[in-house]
Amino acid sequence: MAERWHDEAWAKDMWWSGKTTRRKFLALSSTAAGALGATVLVPAPWREAFGQAKPYKVGVLQPLSGTAAAGGKTALVGTQMAVERINQSGGVNGRPIELVVADYESKPDVGRRKAEKLVLEDKVDVAEGGYLSNVCLACMPVFEEHRTVWMIGVCLDTTITTTKCSRFVFRPFDYAPAQAVAISPYLVNKMGKKWHIAYLDYAWGQSTRDAYLQQIKKAGGEVVETTGIPLGTSDMAPFVSKITGSFDGLFGIFFGANGINFTSAIYDLGLTKKYKYAGDGAIAESTSLPALGQKIEGFVGINRYLPVLDPPLNTPHHKKFFDQAVTALKKIDPSGPLPDRYVQSNFEAMNFLKLGIQKSGFRGREDTMKLIEALEGMEVKEGDDFPQGDKTLRKEDHQAFLREFIFTIQGGKHKIVEVVPKEKTFFPPACKFV
Amino acid sequence: MTAMPAARPTPPATAYWIGFAVVVVLLIVAPLVLPPFWQRFATEILVWGLLAMSSDILIGYTGMVSFGHSAFFGLGMYGAATALLTVKPPSLGLALLYGLVAAGAAAVFVAYFATRLRDIYFAISTLVFSQIFYVIIFTWTEVTGGENGLTFSQPRLTIPGIWSDRFTPVTFHWFVLAVVVLSYLLVRRITQSPFGMVLQSIRENEPRTRAIGYHVERYKIVAVMLSGLFAGLSGVLYALQNKFAAPDFVFFVVSGEVVIFNVMGGMGTLVGPFAGAAFFLLLREGLSRFLTEYYLIPLGIIFIIMIIFLPQGLLGFLRRRLNT
Repeated sequence: MAERWHDEAWAKDMWWSGKTTRRKFLALSSTAAGALGATVLVPAPWREAFGQAKPYKVGVLQPLSGTAAAGGKTALVGTQMAVERINQSGGVNGRPIELVVADYESKPDVGRRKAEKLVLEDKVDVAEGGYLSNVCLACMPVFEEHRTVWMIGVCLDTTITTTKCSRFVFRPFDYAPAQAVAISPYLVNKMGKKWHIAYLDYAWGQSTRDAYLQQIKKAGGEVVETTGIPLGTSDMAPFVSKITGSFDGLFGIFFGANGINFTSAIYDLGLTKKYKYAGDGAIAESTSLPALGQKIEGFVGINRYLPVLDPPLNTPHHKKFFDQAVTALKKIDPSGPLPDRYVQSNFEAMNFLKLGIQKSGFRGREDTMKLIEALEGMEVKEGDDFPQGDKTLRKEDHQAFLREFIFTIQGGKHKIVEVVPKEKTFFPPACKFV
Repeated sequence: MTAMPAARPTPPATAYWIGFAVVVVLLIVAPLVLPPFWQRFATEILVWGLLAMSSDILIGYTGMVSFGHSAFFGLGMYGAATALLTVKPPSLGLALLYGLVAAGAAAVFVAYFATRLRDIYFAISTLVFSQIFYVIIFTWTEVTGGENGLTFSQPRLTIPGIWSDRFTPVTFHWFVLAVVVLSYLLVRRITQSPFGMVLQSIRENEPRTRAIGYHVERYKIVAVMLSGLFAGLSGVLYALQNKFAAPDFVFFVVSGEVVIFNVMGGMGTLVGPFAGAAFFLLLREGLSRFLTEYYLIPLGIIFIIMIIFLPQGLLGFLRRRLNT
């Protein structure tokens, strides 16, 4: 037996045993260099279609790692779907869109650094995305400082388009005050006058609670008490057991795993039988329904987007979007989740940018003010670009208003019970651009 | 033939100061030659390096591993934010003062209780304190802005009665560099003083230090306070650079990163943590550009390799020379 394994007879064929001449070396080297060069020179798919047209660079900020990674990856699908569709149909003003994706690790400091990288290093023309509100708020000054339009895709915090609004930032989807305006008459007139609000005790939950307190009262109802539950509480029973007294309905402001924990806790304590259960649509996103099962039956919520093909979402536009989103989502999650509002809002955010660029003749960052003026007050109609429905991007605060769906859960599925037109969701602007 | 006299070796102190001057000059020139993004990145490295150095007072010199530095750093940020949001016009001096007072007060509180414990118990108690501060800041939305934090504008660089101007990225870098250099020289002086020797004695053999008559608890309390103050100072600088304060910086994960900076750079060297912060941040930035969300895998592998093959860190081999 040989001392070294590669001296064994069976291993002989595995090793180069010929003579390496200078000629052979040069031939092999040039072949390798040629192959490498050919790979580099092969145009990207969009280059083949657009020739030498300079692409619009769109910076996309999403949390692709860290605590919000799952949501960030889903949101990115919406952006990619829209860009693929735009590039396939000839681009914008004859120019393709090139995405520059940055992962901000679910951290505000990284988000800010990545935002600076996008505007300073990558020199993007516009930006899109965002997911966590605290990161959005941390990044807004960067886009303002570098005079770059940022079309936010997900961030929900009310202050983004109120007290901390920016001329360079747009939110092309709804916010809590508009949802509260939309659902409060339904809650008070069709479900009950007296309400108890349970909410996640941090910035988003608190601002959403305040919006519902105001609107339920305005609609003629009464909020008898509120209960705050810290974010990330896994056992909510100690908090939920204190929810007692005389009221008609329990309104929950939760999302994700917190929504599942809360619903499970109130179901186990029998509160869903004793009181009517309603809440923010984030409690009953399609991704949460399998985990909630029977416990969420009869829940009434509000959402801007539902993954159903019932009227009025039985349009060919929505069918097309729905099918494409299901296919795209299956690539990142083999369980095949249905699209959610994050896919929808990022898809439509890109299309808002497309329309703004077309309308303003935007060439690059030097035309940012023209783009802002084109987007301000923009009215869009339901169609392939906006499968969710008509929208108004209000000039005063860059906040969009759109139709809302009041739904219930029946048989583990969303069922639309009422559609609130966008005109009935308006909430006065509270923004002063500096 | 007459033998040539041997060249006189450069005294270690002279070599040290020459090296120090070269590094400082390079850091002064850096913002003038770097592109805007890397300019800002260099400033950020200095800030994180200062935080890591503050932690080195405890980890490297006193032998106490703290997971509470995120609290001091975060409170420095919130202290500065309070000054900048409540006092008109925003004052740089007050931002520094408020930040240092907030971090210092928290350090006194943590030090009083945590220094009664040793080793892993000390580490856990500092972690618990940082989480208490985190929960308070995260939920007290009316005052701290909750999850969203506080945003504010940058104050002007002012010399009262003489001069006042807005910060540019270059002047801000120089301002941070000046603060960091002064802090480093001060901490170096402290660690080489008799007080610093006692800290190192505690690290080497706490019962013997106590036996020869030193009040170990008092020394530990002062060490935590000093460390907390410099951590708070780095928090103020970070807030001034980014114009926001957020609860994420109070979360214990930041303390974990600071420990990593120390391990990578070399504990007990003061300059090692700066090298560790620079190495880690540059590596993270570089890897994340090519591997997007998968960058953590190679980063973790590199960290493990460093622990196995370079246990003293990048500058650990200089430890003795840097401390003489």
